[in-house]
Amino acid sequence: MTDTNDSRGRQLPRAFAADIPTDLAAGRAVELAEIYALDAISDAEREAIDAYVSGAPEAERDSFNDRVRQARETLALSFTAEEEPPADLFARIVAQLPAAAPAEGQARPHAATAETTVAGAPAALPAAEPAHAADELSAARQRREVRRRKSGLRNWLIGVAAAAVIALGGVGIGAYLANQNDPFNQVIEAQDARQATVDVNGGGTATVSISQSHDALVVRMKDVPPPPAGKVYQMWLIPKDGSTPVSQGLMDAEALSKPALVKGIGSAAALGITVEPVGGSATPTLPTVAAAPLNT
Amino acid sequence: MKTLQPGNAAFRFARHDAATAQTRVQHPPAGNLCLRVMETPNAPNFDAPAPPGTAVDLNQQLAQLLGRIADSDQASFAEFYRLTSRRVFGMARRVLIDPELSEDTTQEVFLQVWQNAAKFDPASGSPLAWLMTISHRRAVDKVRSSQSASDREARYGANSQDIDHDSVSDEVDSRLEAEAVVRCLETLTETQQESVRLAYYGGLTYREVAEKLNAAIPTIKSRIRDGLIRLKTCLGVS
Repeated sequence: MTDTNDSRGRQLPRAFAADIPTDLAAGRAVELAEIYALDAISDAEREAIDAYVSGAPEAERDSFNDRVRQARETLALSFTAEEEPPADLFARIVAQLPAAAPAEGQARPHAATAETTVAGAPAALPAAEPAHAADELSAARQRREVRRRKSGLRNWLIGVAAAAVIALGGVGIGAYLANQNDPFNQVIEAQDARQATVDVNGGGTATVSISQSHDALVVRMKDVPPPPAGKVYQMWLIPKDGSTPVSQGLMDAEALSKPALVKGIGSAAALGITVEPVGGSATPTLPTVAAAPLNT
Repeated sequence: MKTLQPGNAAFRFARHDAATAQTRVQHPPAGNLCLRVMETPNAPNFDAPAPPGTAVDLNQQLAQLLGRIADSDQASFAEFYRLTSRRVFGMARRVLIDPELSEDTTQEVFLQVWQNAAKFDPASGSPLAWLMTISHRRAVDKVRSSQSASDREARYGANSQDIDHDSVSDEVDSRLEAEAVVRCLETLTETQQESVRLAYYGGLTYREVAEKLNAAIPTIKSRIRDGLIRLKTCLGVS
């Protein structure tokens, strides 16, 4: 009652049972790789297979993963239906990118959000020798960036996404800064720099370096777990006058590894970090995972 | 909405001089050095005209773009979308039929690309397979939560006459590639093809495929496995 022959008529090793748990118990996990790759299983069955494979001997796990990978490549090559999506779909997607949702009810214009920049860690924390290489890479990347923006940028992107590009400042646009002009180091190394490290609720720490003369602070997260699925970290300045906190940008899992620069801190009483839905919120959702009074 | 309180003041700012800062700055923790390596861009030929060709060409481009998307590069994201959105939306339409659900799915897929580009691992597959895996999973989740199996079967029945390669490009290489796929699909038995297609575009589980085809469950499992393995072997996927 089972197809147990392969294309060459050889007897395949093991016939399937009707249910997945029996297959797993009988050592047929690897034979389930194709059905798994095809999503032809229920969620519960997927969980059962995942649980089995994660606890399986390395060789079996590797075989399973290999077969899944091959099956997925095969499917991607073979099932190639195409259809043009609606013309405005990309604009709708861009509008939902983290920080692109321009802080509904925002107290400040886009430019304020754009003040928050996040640089690559290497630029902010240079080690003597590799820093040179990193600078070259940054420069090369920046050149390509400029070239591409001149030539290749789609017209619709310019119109549609320009606002989002500005608003996105919080998530890594500023990674190309040359080291000597690095505003992060300028803040961190300022004569009046003060620094505090606070625990982040959920793990890790946030180190805040603040310079009144630069009217800026730098936040660096260390060992902070990535936000839960569908969430991002959002930074806020809490004004001294008790008005609504002002978003300073979002940090997704990637941005966590990079320092963030916050300018215009003169009127702020504190810096707060909250967990918000992807895209950010107009007002902070309490409790904060970290907060630091600024005492400016 | 409550206002944020600058509450938990379990910390203090300590004054420290520039020399201290200097020392710290010159000795980054080891983790930052690793980041440097991971951020190394590797796209020497990015500006070359995009050959609208084979899967290999496409995957090379997509891999470079994903590296940049991981750095939050919106232009690369736009290019990635331009190169792949027809595939993602096309698959969603096949699985979901409904245009709005298909748009929602496509939207979710590309948001996931933006957020998870850094997690893409070339060792575990090509960018296209990664993308289509995400897309299929999303589409299947959505169709299963929004439509009963019998609806899906009925829907699929009305739709299953479509050929898969309804958008074969004029490019010679990609045409050859598409022909290889057609030829390889033909090496599958009809029942194998049917089972794989029902699962892929119908969004059916192996159990539902068995019910629809009135076949034994172990038989369907074997057909799907054997069909995909035969296809893989014919296409030379390794």
